[in-house]
Amino acid sequence: MVHNLIAGLRALFRRSRRNADISSELDSFLDESVQEKMRRGMTRDAALRAARAEIGSATSVRSKVWSAGWESTAESLLRDARFSVRQLRKTPGFTLTAILTLALGIGANAAIFTLVNAVLLGNLPVADPARLVRLGNDDNCCVNSGGYPDNDAYSLFSTDTWQQLRKNLPEFEDLATVESGFAWRPITVRRNGSQDAARSVMGEFVSGIYFRTFGLNPALGRLFAGSDDQAGAPFVAVMSYQNWHDNYASDPSVIGSTFWVNTKPVLVIGIAPRGFYGDRLINTPPDYYLPIQTMPAILGVDYVSDPNTQWLYIIGRLRPGIALAPLQTKINDLFRHIVASDPTYAGEKGKAALARAHIVLTPAGGGIRILQEEYQSNLHMLLWISGLVLLIACANIANLLLVRGVNRKAEMSLRTALGAARSRVVRQLLTESVVLSTISGIVGLLVAYLGTRALLAMAFPGDQNVPIDASPSLPVLLFACTLCLGTGILFGIAPAWIAARTQPADALRTGSRTTAAQGSLLQRSLVVLQAALSLVLLIGAGLFAQSLNKLQSTDLKLDARNRYIVHINPQAAGYRPSQLAPLYQAFEESFHAIPGVVHVGIATYTPMEDNNWSSGFRAEGTPGHTFGASHIQVSPEYFDSVGTRLLRGRPFAREDAPGTPTVAIVNETFVKDVFPPGTNPIGKRIGFSNPRDPLEFQIVGVVDDTVYTAVQWQDHRMVFFPLLQRPASNHGPIDTDISLYAGALVIQTAHPMPDMESIARQTLAAINPNLAIVKFQTFDQQIADRFADQRLIADLTTLFGALALLLATIGLYGVTAWTVARRTSEIGIRMALGAERRSVIAMVLRGALIQIVLGLAIGIPTAYFCVRYIESQLYDMKGINPGILLVAVVTLVLAAVIAGFIPARRAASIDPTEALRAE
Amino acid sequence: MPETSGDLVQGTLEMLVLKTLALEPMHGYGIALRLEQVSHGVFRINPGSLLPALSRLERAGRIKAEWRATENNRRARYYQLTPRGRKALAEERAQWDRQIAAINRILEA
Repeated sequence: MVHNLIAGLRALFRRSRRNADISSELDSFLDESVQEKMRRGMTRDAALRAARAEIGSATSVRSKVWSAGWESTAESLLRDARFSVRQLRKTPGFTLTAILTLALGIGANAAIFTLVNAVLLGNLPVADPARLVRLGNDDNCCVNSGGYPDNDAYSLFSTDTWQQLRKNLPEFEDLATVESGFAWRPITVRRNGSQDAARSVMGEFVSGIYFRTFGLNPALGRLFAGSDDQAGAPFVAVMSYQNWHDNYASDPSVIGSTFWVNTKPVLVIGIAPRGFYGDRLINTPPDYYLPIQTMPAILGVDYVSDPNTQWLYIIGRLRPGIALAPLQTKINDLFRHIVASDPTYAGEKGKAALARAHIVLTPAGGGIRILQEEYQSNLHMLLWISGLVLLIACANIANLLLVRGVNRKAEMSLRTALGAARSRVVRQLLTESVVLSTISGIVGLLVAYLGTRALLAMAFPGDQNVPIDASPSLPVLLFACTLCLGTGILFGIAPAWIAARTQPADALRTGSRTTAAQGSLLQRSLVVLQAALSLVLLIGAGLFAQSLNKLQSTDLKLDARNRYIVHINPQAAGYRPSQLAPLYQAFEESFHAIPGVVHVGIATYTPMEDNNWSSGFRAEGTPGHTFGASHIQVSPEYFDSVGTRLLRGRPFAREDAPGTPTVAIVNETFVKDVFPPGTNPIGKRIGFSNPRDPLEFQIVGVVDDTVYTAVQWQDHRMVFFPLLQRPASNHGPIDTDISLYAGALVIQTAHPMPDMESIARQTLAAINPNLAIVKFQTFDQQIADRFADQRLIADLTTLFGALALLLATIGLYGVTAWTVARRTSEIGIRMALGAERRSVIAMVLRGALIQIVLGLAIGIPTAYFCVRYIESQLYDMKGINPGILLVAVVTLVLAAVIAGFIPARRAASIDPTEALRAE
Repeated sequence: MPETSGDLVQGTLEMLVLKTLALEPMHGYGIALRLEQVSHGVFRINPGSLLPALSRLERAGRIKAEWRATENNRRARYYQLTPRGRKALAEERAQWDRQIAAINRILEA
């Protein structure tokens, strides 16, 4: 086998030597034969003649010897390929167009497929991911208590529920649990003895069996054991490989070092395996893993052991051979039994809710699918769009190859006439398409690689840590290769088939007057199809662009000019709630001391950020009703700092402090929804929904409906409280009240201050070196981030729409140009008979436009039909806006006129005498 | 005289060449001559069939070749059986015998 391969290669690379060998062997054969014949009594001449006759042609023998090895087939293929490359280089226009078309089509598809493969189909880099199962199915997050989830399907659990489930489910080898909302709770970390400033990073609190559940081994040191996750255990942490590599230069002495996590000393015991990015695909993967039982001490939260607070996701590894369906039933029964005593299920309504309560088991080989849920519909849509673009690209290639095939009919006929076997001609044409698609495939992969990187950069702006690899994986390579070869072979066959059917004599006889009716109809249909598809894509792009435009032009009722949002975490810097009053005062004083600063606002949340805290409220005069509303604690200057207008009453003042009567400010929507029209809300009392609590807040002011969280929340009820005032209903000791921690500072300046980030960092560090900036953005950036998804979709659909239009235009141009070339003599005759240039141009353009009009006739109804599938992704839009339709149609027609006009002008410049003589 | 090599059952030429070489190393013409003599002139192998067969056998490692002087003091390529070739000959021989016996049984039935 190897011997054969080497001998074949040697023969290929030393052709002349091999031929010389064969010749001299033949010579010696001849020699011996002559000697033998002479021995038998022949004369030398007669013997030589006879021997020569026996041996036959030396060339034929040589070719027979050559064809005995595999290398001859390889060689002829190589020769075909080389010939194809020569042929392709002879027509650079065609080749370049074809390669670009295919490369863009394949590249766009491979890029999208890489993304889909990584996001939707990818598994966690863990042992045997197929046996991982999650208890729960949605992205419900963070910390809940009371109330029932949507559809009564539970995804969040209390520590207590998890422990009981774990005890009673032997079907699982391991049942691990993780903090659901770690991405919203960054930790502040500083290495002991390091001069570097404290950094705000991601830390995920996980159960002790977390790494065992995933079957992981440490890159260095050790991973958690069950004993690390027990109350009173020493503080330990596992560092992610990425963090270790990027920030600590893979220094092994990190193991055993003490790190200050939220000012608590934590021992790093190990490095998680390389490539492991946690239990979910997320753009901010954890830098540190910490045991759940150390969470109360490190994060200062009080709900870790509260049986009535749900805040955990559960993910487990099934024992081999366990079926999901019976387990599902068992888990539901078990879960209802566990939570039956919960006060949430007391009473008639509670009993009914308990009967409906259930947990949906979902395969978790890909982890907890939060990003997947978020991007699924978008990715599917992109897959469809890129598929359409590929279809258009294929139609283009088909067209180009058809035109080429028909143009080369004479060449093929001549070859056949000269004795080329039909199979040989077909093989040559096929080789040509395969060579073409292979080159395109290679260029396409390059496009795919760059495209995926661009897509990732567009999808996750500013995040370097997205655990998605941009290099096309093996499945993507296979996908792209199959696409290339499929396209090449498919569209190589058509012209080959046409060529093979040719009767050489006929083709040669008819010469330049050949009509190509059979190719022409197919080509025109392809152009019509392209036009229709690109119209659909153009309309889609228009819809998304308009949707984005609508979102961005929404009046958010705030002022983002010269505003900077500095996210902070006083808890992580070691502050207890009782120490916050002087800290907040220090914030205000230090930032006001900076020249140019106008207002300094402090708040738990800011407008248009991805977070909110909501509760039920009751109001004076509306007994028996509760109203959901989001609530925020803010400093006196806050409303000015974000540009919210005060409509009535007064803003908060310094005097609204702990110890004075508790007050609230509500927004206009709250007033409209809660109080009867005409009521003056100032002085009215509101309270939390619990009927045992008094209506303890007096409304002192009404503000404009500044939009929080997302544009879709324009008419959302908001309640604002003074930053440090605690209502009487909040009985607990102050140091367990984490609601007092501010999340952000809003700095308004008189003029743009580009170096605000470093100024803020220095200012905070001067107050306390442990005060790290969690996130710094201008107010505009924060708002823009909330449109990132829609912008991505709008950009991508526009990109693909433009690509489709470009391809369709090239297709139309190709067919029109070809038609003109075929009809040169006819046009010449027309002009000789007195046709004017204008009428010739009109004739050619008419031909091109008819195809476009047919394309429109198909495309417009298709677009109307398809729009229902994307409506849910559009903001505040129904159906197709006539304006968008008009723009799309005009764009397409304009492109068609350009594509038709160039060949039309060429037709009109035909010199009749030239054209007739050329025949 | 019929086109002899074409009349050989597919693949038998290689077996016959192996058998011929089993006696002693030979050059191409020697093999052809010997096959002709032993078969009493039934098989006349021309180089167009013989050389490709030799090339295939050499590729498969069943024979090896070297340039040597002939008894007439000329250079010729001498072929020699390898151990692998000897084994292949035995196997093909056994198979051939089985097939011939079977064919004979059918013809005489």
